[in-house]
Amino acid sequence: MASKRIGIESSLGIAEAVKLANVDVIAAYPITPQTHIVEGLAEMVANGDLDAEYIPVESEHSAMSACLGASAVGARTFTSTASQGLILMHEVLMVAASLRLPIVMVVANRALSGPLNIWGDHSDAMIIRDTGWIQIFVENGQQAFDQVLCAFRIAENRDVMLPTIVHIDGFHATHVIEPIYILDKKTVSEFLPPYVHPNPLDPDNPVTMGCFAAPNLYTETRKALDQAVRNSRNIIDETWQSFGTLTGRHYLPIEEYKTDDCDTLLVTMGSFSENAMIAVDRMQKAGKMVGLVRLRLWRPFPTEDVLRAISGAKNVIVLDRHVSLGGPGPVCSEIKAALYPLEKRPQVVGIIGGLGGRDISPENFVSLVELGLEKIKTGQTGEMIMFGVRE
Amino acid sequence: MEALSIYVPKLVTPKEYIASGHRACSGCGEVLAVRYVCKALSRNTIISNATGCMEIISSQLPQTAWEVPWIHTLFENAAAVASGIESGLKARKRKYGYDKEIKVVAMGGDGGTADIGLQALSGAMERGHDFIYVCYDNEAYMNTGIQRSSETPFGASTTTAPSGKVSIGQHTWKKNMAAIAAAHDIPYVATSCSSYPFDIMYKIEKAMKIKGPSYIHILAVCPTGWRCPSNATIRVGRLAVESGVFPIYEIENGKYTLNLDYPKLRPVADYLKSQGRFRHLTEENVAVIQEKVLEEYNRIKTLSHMRKKSK
Amino acid sequence: MKNEIIEIRWHGRGGQGAVTSAELTAMAAIHEGKFAQAFPSFGPERRGAPVLAFNRIRYDRPVRERSGITLPDVVVVLDPGLVTLIDVTEGLKPGGTLIVNSTRSVEDLQQNFDGDWKLAVVDAGSIARKLLGVNIVNTTMLGALIKATGLIKFESLHEPLEERFGARAKSNFEACKLAAENTVLSQITTGGLKTRRSFAVEKLAKWQELPIGCVVKEAGNTRSFCTGDWKSQHPEWDDKKCIKCGICYIYCPEGCIKQQKDGFFRADMFFCKGCGICAQECWTQAISMVEEA
Repeated sequence: MASKRIGIESSLGIAEAVKLANVDVIAAYPITPQTHIVEGLAEMVANGDLDAEYIPVESEHSAMSACLGASAVGARTFTSTASQGLILMHEVLMVAASLRLPIVMVVANRALSGPLNIWGDHSDAMIIRDTGWIQIFVENGQQAFDQVLCAFRIAENRDVMLPTIVHIDGFHATHVIEPIYILDKKTVSEFLPPYVHPNPLDPDNPVTMGCFAAPNLYTETRKALDQAVRNSRNIIDETWQSFGTLTGRHYLPIEEYKTDDCDTLLVTMGSFSENAMIAVDRMQKAGKMVGLVRLRLWRPFPTEDVLRAISGAKNVIVLDRHVSLGGPGPVCSEIKAALYPLEKRPQVVGIIGGLGGRDISPENFVSLVELGLEKIKTGQTGEMIMFGVRE
Repeated sequence: MEALSIYVPKLVTPKEYIASGHRACSGCGEVLAVRYVCKALSRNTIISNATGCMEIISSQLPQTAWEVPWIHTLFENAAAVASGIESGLKARKRKYGYDKEIKVVAMGGDGGTADIGLQALSGAMERGHDFIYVCYDNEAYMNTGIQRSSETPFGASTTTAPSGKVSIGQHTWKKNMAAIAAAHDIPYVATSCSSYPFDIMYKIEKAMKIKGPSYIHILAVCPTGWRCPSNATIRVGRLAVESGVFPIYEIENGKYTLNLDYPKLRPVADYLKSQGRFRHLTEENVAVIQEKVLEEYNRIKTLSHMRKKSK
Repeated sequence: MKNEIIEIRWHGRGGQGAVTSAELTAMAAIHEGKFAQAFPSFGPERRGAPVLAFNRIRYDRPVRERSGITLPDVVVVLDPGLVTLIDVTEGLKPGGTLIVNSTRSVEDLQQNFDGDWKLAVVDAGSIARKLLGVNIVNTTMLGALIKATGLIKFESLHEPLEERFGARAKSNFEACKLAAENTVLSQITTGGLKTRRSFAVEKLAKWQELPIGCVVKEAGNTRSFCTGDWKSQHPEWDDKKCIKCGICYIYCPEGCIKQQKDGFFRADMFFCKGCGICAQECWTQAISMVEEA
């Protein structure tokens, strides 16, 4: 294994990973804060550094549609988007999964209108939760680089054949220059075998893709797809293990940080996890036993791993960077649902925060934990708690 | 042009690329048009099909009528999917020596083309992908039950623009898709009709030889939606052309050629009377339509003559 | 009886108005203060294809059932051709009523069915042609339904017919009346051959058997799907008039007309939907459309 450590913006690090994956087709439409990724790729194609077709489509809907077509003829396909772009793609995402086309996409997580807001949160990621895509969250540029390469290997595995998203928080992660280890071409080509679609669109073997299913078959098609998403877990684990062996950078569906002997656990997802780590260091130094659990894999949801990580705690505080208006935070409700079958369950409190680019600094995380513990103490865990809102 | 010389079987391939056992309505002009399109395309093609009648009648899991590689994904994105297919093939050819000559075709109805799919189509034409777009136009959303589209002609009664005590039905004129396609400066645009098999096949064959986007707009008679007997499909299509309601022409690099030019057009009343969707029209209504039809026909004829003169 | 739900299944072809029959029946029942539902079979069936429509009628309580009807009390067959094509009595309850539009005699028709059912037969086609000028029997057959079951009253049809047909309501009502007068009631006990195919579900894949992405790899496998049973008429060729030009072949939407070794053309009746384009377009009038028996 050879790699080079360089200072690079995370978005361009992602572009480097896509180049190393030697993609055949990129179809993309500009949207903040995804733009640097696709601009980087367009430049590589323009300079002949990456031999790929770059389709500058007229909308995200067409971006994903073009990806469907390209992937269906056996081309390795990449796109990237954010926010409104992702939800404009929504209906196409459903089809990409049901056709089992292993498209890889990076989403630069961003808030949804209205009001219009170009800054980061997880509302776009949460809204496409049920589309059948594998959803992986990263916290920094290095993880994004690594996970893009892993995403191709996972998605294209014959036992998976599912589209995959790498979620990176807009601005807080995408637009930051930081050191990234860039793998060399040979290492990547050994790690990532070529994409071979088992039944591509090909005149020599004319197949039909995208039949409609009547009530007598639709349930079976959904069961098959759901099972495929669940089964992908084996290949995800295997891929991350190989990647860890290769690079020394290890990834898990649930990653724990200083959770030993902790009564209280904070659960986060995405780039703010690094701030939360700092907060955990400070709190533990001050004698407060608070640990951190980070969700890396959102779909398929790693229920067993979540239980292993948090079922022994007394208090669990879950941060959601999305408001399900009028309902509970999505991450929190899934964690509560996972805990429900246990006889002895921790107290769980959900907190909404970090919306539309609102910062949650390490200091804020300390307050957030204090707020959560207070709510647990006073039995107010069922409340809608929004952190950092002016009132 | 329509050289219907006797002994048809000698002139066309006996091979069918859309198999029998499809579930189109009895007497469907749309499936007929697609049958001709596919005969001309023959096997080295990949079709991206928009949602609509053609998709529903040909692809109910676990069955398919298609003998060519075919993909359906959504309603409004057939042209965008075709862009991806074309680019994917191009990359595979260049990078991995995939050496098949394949013409990519996107197909959709009038709704999937002129309404919900117009943006994706415009994008694909503007980007210059090497593909053929075929619109089979039956002048309403027939798959969902005869709702009006922007291709529904003036005066037709549909379920969402019905004729009534204070309404003529459709009160807008048919959207001119051929002109919209031509405005993209693509090399080849043509119109045709499901009653003219050899014209359709000729135009598809021509489009196959062209590098870049081609747009072919085919009027496809729908006995169910137009409210005419199922055996009248061919006759009604012919009336549309012979009355000048739907002129058959080509636009090659901006130059018009009226392919079927009639010294004397039949009255539009002959066409309108052949269908229940126009039953409510008064003589005055018919006169208004007659005038507009002549105006449009003459416009195309003039454009076509200008070309002849400039030769 | 009073509290029971009576379920009716209508058999027709797309475009023949079976759904309208069911709707008018429900409207009439509702008009009488009863509770009723009418619904179609929600499928992608096209004009000419065998289709179903349904009713539920209850005298004194609301109908809450939302699922399909599999064991009807009454079956009404609008299209005479369907009787020999599919098992229209599938699921029909013992003691139930079968109402058929047919020119055939009661004795002859009885041979087709095997079960303890009441059979009502009427030549609704002739009545509709005579009084309405079309061979569409969806209103005419309501008369046979009334005669055979008494589920609704004639008077109750006035308003729904008026609303639906306006000026043509009167002739439709008369067709109904005449159909009731001409309906012949009889009883089936045992008997006939039952070799029709079921219109219900064929054997379908388990989820594990579906290919990745539900791709269909057998190109053109609709060739095993019979659309020939959609037709109410079929083409016949007079080879003496045929000049072997092939116009019929090129204009066939099914692509099911083929040239034989002797140069003459024939349609594959497994697919032919009886649209009549071939007969209409034939230059020498060598093809004529013949009503299905």
